[in-house]
Amino acid sequence: MSAPGTPTRRSAPPAEAEQQEITRLCVSTGVVLMQHGAESALIETLMRRLGIALGVDRVEAGIFANSIVLATLCGNRSVTTVRRVEDRGINMNAVTQVQRAVLDVEEGALDAAGYRARLAAAVPAHYARWILALAIGVSCAAFARLARADLPGCAAVLAASAVAMYARLRLARLHFSPVVTFFFAAFVASSLAGLLASPVRLGAWLAWPGSATTSPVLASCVLFLVPGFPLINGVSDMVKGYTSIGLARLAYATLLAAAAAAGILLSMALRSRWGLP
Amino acid sequence: MSTLLGFLHTAALAAVPAVGFGMAFNVPFRVLGWCALGGALGRGLRFLLIEAGLPAAWATLVAAAAVSWLGVWAAQRLRAHPKVFTVAAVIPMVPGVAMYQTLLALWQMERSGVTNELLTTALEQGLEATFIVAALAVGLAVPGLFVYRRRPVV
Repeated sequence: MSAPGTPTRRSAPPAEAEQQEITRLCVSTGVVLMQHGAESALIETLMRRLGIALGVDRVEAGIFANSIVLATLCGNRSVTTVRRVEDRGINMNAVTQVQRAVLDVEEGALDAAGYRARLAAAVPAHYARWILALAIGVSCAAFARLARADLPGCAAVLAASAVAMYARLRLARLHFSPVVTFFFAAFVASSLAGLLASPVRLGAWLAWPGSATTSPVLASCVLFLVPGFPLINGVSDMVKGYTSIGLARLAYATLLAAAAAAGILLSMALRSRWGLP
Repeated sequence: MSTLLGFLHTAALAAVPAVGFGMAFNVPFRVLGWCALGGALGRGLRFLLIEAGLPAAWATLVAAAAVSWLGVWAAQRLRAHPKVFTVAAVIPMVPGVAMYQTLLALWQMERSGVTNELLTTALEQGLEATFIVAALAVGLAVPGLFVYRRRPVV
């Protein structure tokens, strides 16, 4: 097996129409990767490797915060194209499918037409909304436990985070801006966790003990809103030399974190108004 | 003995949010196991390093680098980029409580005036949170910075 990044060479250089098709395939690859949250180094490397594997001499790409410019060079002929990229949310399934298709092209198992078909057939799979909400509820409860919350506190976090995650997914589906979604989800999670952490008596026999550890409970219930991908991709882009897009990603992560913080603060203000934790 | 128990407890609990976040990032179902392993390795290793006396931020840096190495190893077997599951795997190390304490202290200062205790809490917790988050992000980049400098992992 050859080292990664060394394609099997083709014999004849591509004709002009063929080069245009290769250019379109390369830029579509970059667009799909960028829409679903791949880091810039991966986007650029995969576009270049695909182009070279399909027979062009060089691929030059510029990756911006919301667009991609790409040129393929073949002899003294150059084809350039630009695409706008809109965010479709983090989807590692789509990134994996595209990467595996590019690897197949490099290994010679797939030609341009086959690759186009694979790219068209790559449907980003999603987990069902309620399963995701439940998984996030359990995750945040585990966070709370790691931060030494008591068991009623963990139960409160589970319920609050699951409901808030469900609300977030519904709002995202309605095409609200992530800023609005994060603000609202943080408000819901924080308020619900605050309510559930306080003890309630329901008649003589039924009582909810509430939580004695409100600080880890209120901290953990909003952790599903940590913008992990923009943050880590931002740093990773910066250290790999993609400074401008790295800064854009970090700014976006800061914006989302600020929106979530605003939701938490509003909830705190309302809860302190009514004397809740 | 209590260190071993603490390690197992931390590692087992940390695997849960790693999988949960992996699902939120739509990581393919078959790769979720690697998220769990990475999450347990990262948080567990950080627990041991902090027990051994290393400051939290440096322990986080080493643990995130270890997760990233696991990612490189697994990526070459899965034919997928390491970031596909290492990002979810470092999420359990996010300093949630420190970030919350900072926000709470800032809010209290805004509402009822600056006191020495509140300022101390805000600064200490805020700095700790910042350092740990930076260590996570930089730690993940370690294999790319030191070994995979001009060649792709997969």
